[in-house]
Amino acid sequence: MLWFVAPAMVLFGLFVLWPMASAFYYAFTKWDGFTAPVWVGLANFQRAFADSVHLMSYVHVVLYILGTFVFEVSFGLVVAVLLNSDRRGFEFLRGLFFSPVVLSMSAAGVLWAFVLDYRSGLVNALLKAMGAGDLAQPWLSQPTTALIAITIVSGWKYSGFYMVIFFAALRRIPRNIYEAARLDGAGPVRMFFSITLPLLRQNIMVAILLAVTGGFAGFDLFFTMTNGGPFSATEVPATWIMKQAFDQNQLSYGIALTVILTIVVMVVSIVYLRFSERVGVARY
Amino acid sequence: MQMFRGVLAGLTLLAMSGTALAVTEIRITHATTGGAEKEVLDQIVADFEAANPDIKVVQIPFDDDTYSDTGLITQLQGNPVPDIYFQWAGYPVARDANAGYAADLTDALKSDGWGDTFVPSVWSAGAGTMVDGKPYLIPASLDVTNTIWYNKTIFAEDGLTPPKTWEEFLALIKVLVEKGETPIIEGNQEFWPFGNWASHIAAKVVPPEEYAAAFEQTGKFNTAGFLKALNHIQELHTIGAFNKDMAGLGADPAMATFIEGAAVMHPIGSWLIGTAKELGDADFDYASFDTPVIDPTHPLKDSVIGTVTGWVVHAKSTHQAEAVRFLKFYTNEANQIKRAEAGSLSPIKGVNEKANLDPQTKQMAEMLATAPAMVPPPDTTYPVPVAEAYYQAAAMVATGEKTPVDALVWLDDTVAVIGKQ
Amino acid sequence: MSASRAIDRPRSAAEWLRFGVGAALVAVMFYPTVWMVLSAFKSNREIFRQPFGLPASWRWENFLEAWEKGGLGQLYLNSLFVTAIAVTLAVGAATAAAFAFTRLEFPGRRLCYRLLLVGLLLPPPTVAIPLFTQLRDMGLLNTPWALILPGAAWSLSLTVFLMRSYFNTVRPDMEEAARIDGANIAQIFAFVSVPMVWPAMLTMIILNTINIWNELLFALLFIVDEDKRTLPVGLVRFYGYHSTDYALVFAALSITTIPILILYFILQRHVIAGLSSTAMD
Repeated sequence: MLWFVAPAMVLFGLFVLWPMASAFYYAFTKWDGFTAPVWVGLANFQRAFADSVHLMSYVHVVLYILGTFVFEVSFGLVVAVLLNSDRRGFEFLRGLFFSPVVLSMSAAGVLWAFVLDYRSGLVNALLKAMGAGDLAQPWLSQPTTALIAITIVSGWKYSGFYMVIFFAALRRIPRNIYEAARLDGAGPVRMFFSITLPLLRQNIMVAILLAVTGGFAGFDLFFTMTNGGPFSATEVPATWIMKQAFDQNQLSYGIALTVILTIVVMVVSIVYLRFSERVGVARY
Repeated sequence: MQMFRGVLAGLTLLAMSGTALAVTEIRITHATTGGAEKEVLDQIVADFEAANPDIKVVQIPFDDDTYSDTGLITQLQGNPVPDIYFQWAGYPVARDANAGYAADLTDALKSDGWGDTFVPSVWSAGAGTMVDGKPYLIPASLDVTNTIWYNKTIFAEDGLTPPKTWEEFLALIKVLVEKGETPIIEGNQEFWPFGNWASHIAAKVVPPEEYAAAFEQTGKFNTAGFLKALNHIQELHTIGAFNKDMAGLGADPAMATFIEGAAVMHPIGSWLIGTAKELGDADFDYASFDTPVIDPTHPLKDSVIGTVTGWVVHAKSTHQAEAVRFLKFYTNEANQIKRAEAGSLSPIKGVNEKANLDPQTKQMAEMLATAPAMVPPPDTTYPVPVAEAYYQAAAMVATGEKTPVDALVWLDDTVAVIGKQ
Repeated sequence: MSASRAIDRPRSAAEWLRFGVGAALVAVMFYPTVWMVLSAFKSNREIFRQPFGLPASWRWENFLEAWEKGGLGQLYLNSLFVTAIAVTLAVGAATAAAFAFTRLEFPGRRLCYRLLLVGLLLPPPTVAIPLFTQLRDMGLLNTPWALILPGAAWSLSLTVFLMRSYFNTVRPDMEEAARIDGANIAQIFAFVSVPMVWPAMLTMIILNTINIWNELLFALLFIVDEDKRTLPVGLVRFYGYHSTDYALVFAALSITTIPILILYFILQRHVIAGLSSTAMD
């Protein structure tokens, strides 16, 4: 009978659990990946908590995650409500809106690096065409705009995913609830807040969890668009870890940073799940 | 388990098919992805394979930034290792020798008098090709890592001539700003492009002992000398010398923009010549002047910044003899002349004199020959994290992110956190 | 019948407004993709001077050049190979495991399932570096297996989780009947359960295909040779080499994304079902 779980457990143990467990050992050593590791206790962690770029990378990723709540989850929800119709053409619109989701992050990143390019990018060309050339910015070259630019691109890429989740959930809400509300004289805005939102609460909770765990894993877009720059303004844990690990044989320092990331993600997820259980969204 | 065994069987097959080939494969990894230099490299590889049918050369190119970021180091630790890899002389070679990646080439260089075909200066202590008296790097070119390239056509239109002093340089930039030009374009996403220039500026104004102490982590950066250097960089920012997207622009796009004629000056290394040959229009006319004298009393006031680059044979390579055979072929006179004519100054005796150099390469050769001193770039001389921290501090000043004082405070804090390297 | 009549009924002003707003929004969202394809036909100068509008002449040669310079054919083959094997491994192993978790009783069942769920919350960057050294020591670095095995392993958590919930929605009656008829567990799994949960497996195949096909981080670290790279890495590298040759990069982007988009429009319903199931069931 074990034959049925063995392939999954072996694969999972070998390529997920084992590297994770070994990380907890190497994080306490000085190791270049080549020679024998030397036990150094908490040295890597001391450095990690003094490393201002590392600490700021968590600020950036939190800002990014908050941004995804707006540009991915909320925007996806609004569009799902907007495009929730049986009328001809709406399915086509939904299909188009969703299409960026299937593209690879690297393709999206490269495409948007061009869209946002200072000299020949689409955004600045558009501003110039509208006579607002003064507003043209080097979007990805300024610490003030780079992170928000990436967050918006992320919204472009993923809002379709949340739209689809919410759309499927919207279809399950019985029509007659809306009919009754309409007879009571409720407008679309009031119906959204008094019927749609409460009934989608469970889906919203799940969407937020996905946005949080997905946000901490964020790497591709940051790597292709700015690789952490300018001046570490878009440095997130994943990009910083990669830089540290392979720069100057500091492998064990990079590993210590991954251990911190693992713990942070686990704690955040578990706290969130406990919280959502309490509000009655028992999942997982 | 059945499936897993199947996977293992597949792996064994895969591994066997790799070794069953009769032809020896040597893997060579580098950061030359375009330009005339790449064409010559492809040509040399093809000629070598034709002359040595038992050897196949596999190139593993990366773009420059990825190469120095993760591209090379993941390969050095990887499996199979590259047999030959591109490296900068100095600190990287010493690190690779100590980590056991670089092979000692003493014997190879002694055979057939190979070592004697090079100009003797590449084997001097300061050249960075040797570690503890043993050679680890086969020099392939002499690079000026920063000089100021300028568009001759625009200079002529505006009646400008290369400046002799820092004041003249600032005045020239002001003229260009008034004309609505982008005076200097720099693509500094990865910090080293402007970092090299900023280091050269520092080397010309900071007392040499103070400079070395800071980078070696025995002294501080927050000194009168470095403050003076960063103040000069701030002057450039204040008068609007740089392109607005400097901080996020890649090195290659910046170079291409200069070659297209969309900016007047571009501070970068001598490798621009090879790219200009490929990308530049026929009427693109350019030359260089070096960073003008800033402090006439400084011992390094008219130094140039440059280094040697070349090839390392991996110590764990199983084809070291073939790798050496390739490098001997690569450094023979005929091939070096081809490389020199593609814009890359040769470390082999007599080549630069015999080759038909273009005006820009000739200018570089003269600059190297006449300069009273040569300063190496910090990221190939001192611990890389320290060098990069300085580069970043300089970039912050150049883009107005921080004042010189704040940048130096930040720099010392950052270096302290990195710890002694 | 009544539904179709509802669709054909003339639209009210409010409905037209809704369609108009929706269409405008979608047009803005989709425009970068259109711009990418149109720019791929232009010359570099034209991209800079006339960023909008149709190309003056349709330069098909851009695509040929990008295809050859980027070795895009090889990248496609590599991506296909890695994705096909990894998805087969992941969905096969996950279905078997989900079958065991819902239909069989064995010691350690809860523990195994709980362990697998850990992977739902972990982002891959957390193990990328130890995995790198581990794959190196196993001699798998720079082989397709360095992407296939970790790729499959990292898909397991979600796939097992969703397959298990699907198994829970189907009653085990058929399997019971087969058991009474004398079938052994392997036969029951292969001939009764798999056909029964096939729709969910198909969904999982599509979902995992999208994820593994687009994977970047592992592919970036674990593969060095140009001829073994997958599409996402190949594209990033291509952009690195040719970052100033806009037309060429747009052509490469179009070549790598348009077939995926077409495939998506063909399989739209399955794709949407697959991705929404990650948060729904």
